[in-house]
Amino acid sequence: MPSAYVGRRRKWILTAIVALVFAQIFVGSLSVAFADQLPQPDPAGTATGDRTLVFDAAGNPFVVPEPTDRSAPDYTKSKQEFDNFQAQAAREPLALKLADDVGHVRLATNFSWTLLTGYLVLFMQAGFALLTCGLVRKKNAAHLMMLNFAAYVFAFLAYYAVGYAFQFGAVAINAAPTNLGGTPTLNHFLIGSGQWGFLGGKGFFLTGPGYDAGSNCLTLFEVVFMETAGYIIVGAICERITFWAFLICELFIGGLLYPISGCWVWGGGWMSQLGSTMHLGHGYVDFAGSTVVHAVGGFCAMALAVILGPRLGKYGPDGKPRAFPASNIVFVVTGTFVLLFGWMGFNPGSTLGATDLRISVVAVNTNLSAVAGSAAAMVLWYFLFGKPDITMACNGMLAGLVAITAPCAFVSPTSSAVIGVLAGILVCLGVLFNERVLKIDDPCGAISVHGYCGWFGAVSLGIFADGTYGAGWNGVGVASYLGRAGQGVTGLIHGDFSQFWMQLGGATLLAAYSFGATFIVFKGVNAWRSMRVSKEVELTGLDVPEFGMLAYPEDAVEMLTAGSQAQQRGV
Amino acid sequence: MKRIDAVIRPSQLEEVKQRVTGLGVTGLTVSEVRGFGRQKGHTETYRGSEYTVDFLPKIFVSIAVAEEMVEPVVDAIIEGARTGVIGDGKIFVSSLDEVIRIRTGERGPGAI
Repeated sequence: MPSAYVGRRRKWILTAIVALVFAQIFVGSLSVAFADQLPQPDPAGTATGDRTLVFDAAGNPFVVPEPTDRSAPDYTKSKQEFDNFQAQAAREPLALKLADDVGHVRLATNFSWTLLTGYLVLFMQAGFALLTCGLVRKKNAAHLMMLNFAAYVFAFLAYYAVGYAFQFGAVAINAAPTNLGGTPTLNHFLIGSGQWGFLGGKGFFLTGPGYDAGSNCLTLFEVVFMETAGYIIVGAICERITFWAFLICELFIGGLLYPISGCWVWGGGWMSQLGSTMHLGHGYVDFAGSTVVHAVGGFCAMALAVILGPRLGKYGPDGKPRAFPASNIVFVVTGTFVLLFGWMGFNPGSTLGATDLRISVVAVNTNLSAVAGSAAAMVLWYFLFGKPDITMACNGMLAGLVAITAPCAFVSPTSSAVIGVLAGILVCLGVLFNERVLKIDDPCGAISVHGYCGWFGAVSLGIFADGTYGAGWNGVGVASYLGRAGQGVTGLIHGDFSQFWMQLGGATLLAAYSFGATFIVFKGVNAWRSMRVSKEVELTGLDVPEFGMLAYPEDAVEMLTAGSQAQQRGV
Repeated sequence: MKRIDAVIRPSQLEEVKQRVTGLGVTGLTVSEVRGFGRQKGHTETYRGSEYTVDFLPKIFVSIAVAEEMVEPVVDAIIEGARTGVIGDGKIFVSSLDEVIRIRTGERGPGAI
C-alpha cells in the first residue's frame, strides 16, 4: 500500500477525532445555556422517583390528579375522588412520605431491571460474533471478528454524539418512559413538533438534558439495541468489505439511519402517533424492535450486499450459486444460544421496568417462538434437501426470535408458536430466494433472518395481537378502545383492521426507508472509492492484508484451499 | 531394503499399527493427507447450494523394512486396512538406496 495513501487516511481520522473533541466542548458549553430551563436534569439520581410515580398493579396512580376539564362527563366523579384524596392526604402526612419512598424504590426496581436486561443485550454481541465467525471461511475469521468488535466501538461513539439525541431527544413529549421516571428533560424536536415529530433534538453528547440518571438508564438500554442493528450488517457484507468502508457504515447506522426511524417509532415521533392523528389502531406498534432494530439492520445489510456484489466464485458462469461451507459449526450453535439468552433481555427488558408484570408472558412468548422457528426450519429443510442443515436450524431460531420481537407483549403463547413456525418457514424461503433468484450473496443469512422476518414480525402483531395488553399504548384508548375499557393493542383476528393496515404500511415503510437511504448514501461512497477489497486480497483472505495477522495461523494452508476450486472455476 | 507407503482410511490406522508392530517393525511414520482415487468424492448441500467433497481425508503410512519383511508387512497392512468397501486405499512398495541412523551415523539394514 503506498505510504501517501496511508498518510492521507491517518490525517482524515485525526481530523475526525479533533472535530469530535471540539463538538463535545461546544455542546458542553451549550448545556450551560440549558441549565436554567425546566425541568432540571438529575445526574445524581437523588431527585428521581417520588409519590407521583407510584401506581397500583392496574396502572392507577397513587396521587389522584385534579380534573381540569369541567365539561368532561365524569367531571363530578373525578372531582369527588380528587377531593377525597386531598382530605385523606392531609390527615395522613406519613403515608405521603411513605409513598415518596415507594416511588423511589419502584424506580430503583425498574432501573435494575432495565440495566440488567441491557447487559444481556450487550452480550448478544458476543453471540453475533461467534455465529458469523463460524459461518465464514477460516481465512477471513480475524477480519470478521474485527468487524464485530469495531462495530460496537464506533457505532457506540456515533450514538453517544448524536444518535441518542436524534432518537430520544423528544421522548418526553409523546412517549415518556414513566417506568424510568419519564426523562422529562428530553422534550424538544429538532424537526417537527407535537404529534408530528421527525427528529429528536436534546441530549447531544449526553450533556445537559442528557446527563440525567433516568435518561442514562434509557441510554444504556437503547445503545445496545442500536448496536444490534449495527451488527446485523456484518453477516451480509463480510469476506469482501474494506475496513474503512465498514467504519463509515457503522457511523452511518449509529448516528443517522437507526436513530431517525427509531425516533419515529420509539422517540414519540410521527409513526407512533398515527393512532391519535389518523385513527390507525394504536399507531405504529413495535414492542422491542422487529422493524426498528432488525428490519432496519436487515434491509441496510441488503442494500450494502447489493452494492458490494457477491463474493468471488459464489456464482458460476452458469449463474448457479456455490456453497462456501461454514468453518466452525460449534461457534454457530454456541453463538445462536448466546443470542437466545441475550434475547431474554431484548424482549422482556423492553418493558423498561420489572413492575410491569407482563414480562413473564413476554419471556415465554419469546422462547416459544424461537423453538417453533427452529423446529420449522429443521423439518422444512429435512423435506427439501434430505438432511436438516444445522446452520439453517440456527437461522430458524433467530427468525422466530426476530419475528416475535414486535408482538411478544401483545400476543398469546399459542400465537407466538404460530408466528415462530411462519418465521422459520419464511427464513428458509428467504435464504433460497436471495441466493437463487435475487442472487444477493448473504453469507450468514442476515437479510432473510433480520430483514424479512423483522418485517413479518411487525405485520404479525397486526394480525395476532389479542387486546390483553397495551391499553393506552401511544396515548390511544386510555379510557376504552373498541368500546371496551382496558382493551389493549388489537390485531386483525381480534377485530381491529386499522391496526393491521398500520403495521403492514409501517413495516414496509421502514424497510423501504432503510434500504433506500443506505443504497443512496453508499452508492455514492462506492463511486468515490471502491468499498470492496481487491481480487487478490479476497482470494488469499482478508486477515493479513487488512490486519496483518491470521485468526488461525496453524491452519494457514488448509484455510486457503477451502473453496479454492470453486473460485478458480468461477473467476 | 524397501520402503512401503500405504494410503489408508484414518479409522484403520490403529489396526494397521498393531499388526505391523506385532511383526517386529520398530518404526513407522504417518501423515494426515487428503486425496482421491477411484472412490472419488461425494456431493453435499450447504444452505441450499451443492458442493462436492473431492479430497477425502486419508492417512499416509511410511515404513522402511528389510527385503524379507516386505511380504509379511504388506499382508499385515492389507489385513488391518481392508473393509471391503471402495476407498480402502493403496500400498506402494519401492526400493530404498540407503538408510542412516542420525544419532550414530550407522548405515544399511542395521539402521532401520
